Amino acid sequence: MTQKKSEAGDLLRDTLDMLILKTLSQGEMHGYDIAEYIHDRSDQVLGVEEGALYPALHRLEVRGLLAAEWGVSDNNRRAKYYKLTAAGRKQLAEETAHWNRMSSAIARILEPA
Amino acid sequence: MPHEWLTEAWLRAMALVKRKRLDRDLEEELQFHLAKRAEKNCALGITANDAQAAARRRFGNVTLVKEDCRETWIFTSIETLWQDLRYAARILAKSPGFAAVVIFSLALGIGANTAVFSAMNAVLLRALPYEHPDTLATVWTTQKTDPGSEDLPPVAEVTDWKEQNHVFADIAGTSISGKAMLTGFGEPGPVIAQWATQNFFDLVGVQPALGRVLRTEESQEEFQTVVISNVFWKRRFNSDPHVLGTTFRIDGVVSNVVGVMPEGFTGFAPWYGSDTEGKPTEVWLPIDPRSARNAKRSDHWIMPVARLKPGVTVAQAQVEMDVIALGMERAYPDSNKGVGEKVIPLRDTLYKSTRDKLYPLMGAVGFVLLIGCVNVANLMLSRTEGRRKEYSVRASLGASRRRLMQQLLAESGLLTLIGGSLGILLSFWGIRLLRAIAEGVPDAESIRIDGRVLLFAAGLSVLTAFLFGLAPAICAARLDLNDALRAGESRTSSGKRGRTRYLLVISEVALAMVLLVGAGLMINSLLRLLLPSPGFDAANVLTMAVNLPATDVKYVEKIPGKDMDRVSPKVTAFHQQLLGRASAIPGVESVGMISIIPPLGAGMRTFSILGHPAPLPGSRPQGFFNEVSPSYFSTMKIPLRKGRYFDERDKESAPWAVIISETLASRYFPNEDPIEQQILLRYEPQRVDEERPRQIVGVVGEVKQIGMGGLHPLLYESFLQQPEVFQGGSEFFQLMGSLVIRTTSDVRVHEAYIATSVKQFVKEMDPDQPVTDISTMEDVLGKSLKDYKNYVVVLGFLAGIAVVLAAIGVYGVLSYFVNQRTRELGIRFALGAQRGDVLLLVTKLGLALTGTGLAIGVALTLGLNRFMAQHLQLFHVKPTDPATSGAVGILLVCIALLACYIPARRATHVDPLTALRHE
Repeated sequence: MTQKKSEAGDLLRDTLDMLILKTLSQGEMHGYDIAEYIHDRSDQVLGVEEGALYPALHRLEVRGLLAAEWGVSDNNRRAKYYKLTAAGRKQLAEETAHWNRMSSAIARILEPA
Repeated sequence: MPHEWLTEAWLRAMALVKRKRLDRDLEEELQFHLAKRAEKNCALGITANDAQAAARRRFGNVTLVKEDCRETWIFTSIETLWQDLRYAARILAKSPGFAAVVIFSLALGIGANTAVFSAMNAVLLRALPYEHPDTLATVWTTQKTDPGSEDLPPVAEVTDWKEQNHVFADIAGTSISGKAMLTGFGEPGPVIAQWATQNFFDLVGVQPALGRVLRTEESQEEFQTVVISNVFWKRRFNSDPHVLGTTFRIDGVVSNVVGVMPEGFTGFAPWYGSDTEGKPTEVWLPIDPRSARNAKRSDHWIMPVARLKPGVTVAQAQVEMDVIALGMERAYPDSNKGVGEKVIPLRDTLYKSTRDKLYPLMGAVGFVLLIGCVNVANLMLSRTEGRRKEYSVRASLGASRRRLMQQLLAESGLLTLIGGSLGILLSFWGIRLLRAIAEGVPDAESIRIDGRVLLFAAGLSVLTAFLFGLAPAICAARLDLNDALRAGESRTSSGKRGRTRYLLVISEVALAMVLLVGAGLMINSLLRLLLPSPGFDAANVLTMAVNLPATDVKYVEKIPGKDMDRVSPKVTAFHQQLLGRASAIPGVESVGMISIIPPLGAGMRTFSILGHPAPLPGSRPQGFFNEVSPSYFSTMKIPLRKGRYFDERDKESAPWAVIISETLASRYFPNEDPIEQQILLRYEPQRVDEERPRQIVGVVGEVKQIGMGGLHPLLYESFLQQPEVFQGGSEFFQLMGSLVIRTTSDVRVHEAYIATSVKQFVKEMDPDQPVTDISTMEDVLGKSLKDYKNYVVVLGFLAGIAVVLAAIGVYGVLSYFVNQRTRELGIRFALGAQRGDVLLLVTKLGLALTGTGLAIGVALTLGLNRFMAQHLQLFHVKPTDPATSGAVGILLVCIALLACYIPARRATHVDPLTALRHE
């Protein structure tokens, strides 16, 4: 039921999930900041519509990888802040390790002989 | 991880409870994001309005994101389903006509399917009421020259099988059930009796509810132990717990009740065209394999039931029985030359003929449902077209395709839900109808709706909802927004969708054609059974049977040491006296007597014609005989073709005479005059010639003596000219006698009085002798075709529904066609087209669709030719009968023309001005 039609594709979705987890490993943030953070760090390569971030955030929250609470933002407005849970940290570690293995393997294959 | 799963479930459950709060939070979160972005844009020096618009652009579709987020939290499917259903209900309530047609089509289709399936379920799928029924089989003998034949073996042969085989754990014997006379306990009357060996009950795994089963060693000439059925115990003995030990006579033999079978056990239900009309067995009588009669290899009457050893298949058992058959051929060449054995699973033996009847019905109701679905799909398609604007608006407001399809499927789902429920209600009525046709079929009473049937109906409904809901849903999903929103132009751009609906209508017509041909063949065949006269005048004839028991020493005396019976002169005297007294009853015009009345049967004899070359053993002339009183022919008004009827000359002492039917005359005396020819009859299967030849004295008209289906070569002997001593068991035709009484005026007026009088005479002559089967001859004829007629009516009814549905389909498509082209038609009129031209335009399309459907239908019927030949009981009609197909085709074209008429007329009434302004 949580599976959306795969317009974005599983790979893209997984990558987005990982990016969010990585971003939040810095500390608590609300959605807008997360978007900005990813946007800046990725040299704007990941030109995803910002809206796509929110279903991903909610999905991660439902899976228990993120916890959220309402706080007050710098401009005194109510905002929803997300942070990693223990499960989220574990997931990030696993995925990072997996990603490193994958990318070094791919790098070796693509290296000039 | 179970922990993660639990958290997720908890969060979701919470979300479901606090749904409003969730919505608010979500809204706030997204608004916060947009506001932040706009703020930032403002800081870059853009006007507030532009900044907000830019923020939205960068964000994407807010509604869709919201939906996505919500779906993450909530079991949205349930929620939206409910929403969709409510919306569907509102939409449908707005077009009650549409909803009614759809629901009606579905209810009929699902109802009919459920009813037929319940019959299938009862006879084919439900477990037989025996222990491990799948390892039970029946074993028959078969003529190697006719591999399809299934004959009953003699008891002696079964005893041999039992000793020689290694594949069966045991073999028991039972018999075709039949009527037996119960006397000595209240009013004498017939009971349904079945013979059984001692091990029969054990073999099928049924224990008596009271007492014990019968025992062979207790069976003697004049005494036997019997077991009764639960129903009989309740009805005849008021469930008396002290019934054991009760004594009565069955066919004259003193019978002691030793057991009552459990409820639901009806023995092997009768499936043969016997005289029991499918009624369950009431009394089981013992078969004694040691008796003189049962030691003979010519007396074929037992039905063996065998229990396969564990792990042995029917095919393996067949191989073994083939070997045994070869051995039997060598050991008993006289009786077993050319005889094989055949092992058949019990289920097939019991239900094959029912199955053959049910398959066409299952096919027919399947077709009706398919046509119904096609119709509904067509209607839905039209509605989808009509609602394109609605869908476009919804899509452009952010509804996903999946959401649109879901909405449409909810509509079809709601329709099927209602249609399906109504269908199940309808099926109760349908089942009653089926039970009526299933008369004579085992366990007709067990046809009912159970869990499996309900599951079937539900599954079928879901399937149909998808079948007819999916096509429009896909169409809606494929909608091109730009195209659809520019409504004015969409009117002319429906070529492709038009083709879909043409295909649907063509398939409807084709299916209806097949069904109609099937029903047409049956009707044709019924007419051929009904229309020709049965060969006698049935009006104002009353009939009743006075069959004397072979077991009463008063009438039949066993000749000790030989398997011969001497029939007492009292039998003839009894019949003569009865004939005399009956003809004196007021209101009686004349009285005759015959062993078995038409169309209920005859005995088989072979014969040789004196002066002709002796016939070869395998190809002896055959005739079907009855014993009659001389007055029989005149009473029944059977016309004389040649020679004379029996008369007072044909006394016992005179040369024996015989009267033959036209069929027999033309078959065996093709180029000569049969009158005064002598024939020598032979008892079969005993292969004993009669003691003296009979001279043919007359040829009479055809009579449907054995069923209404065909004409058989018939022989009539006088009941006065019969031997005194008969081979064991062959005196039955002498003992049986049915009176045929022609009344002076309407038989209904005299019926009751005559019956009472005859009963009184019989009681005076023999107090134990019952009078049975009292009926008018017209009722006998009606009854003999009742099942068939009912079957034809059901099939015809289904075909009728199919045709109506197909006509609705044709009508719908043409109406749509006319609606679509209103503008075009207007232009045509404006340019000077005549009404006739437009009429032709619409009608041509209608006929083209129907014609194509018919052609495909004909091809389909040809393809189904073999199925029809195998499963439809056709008489004198071939499945490829061109007359039937032709008539059906013409009928369909006429109906299609009718369906064309209304839309075509509307087309001619198009007002050019209104049409051109149309939208």
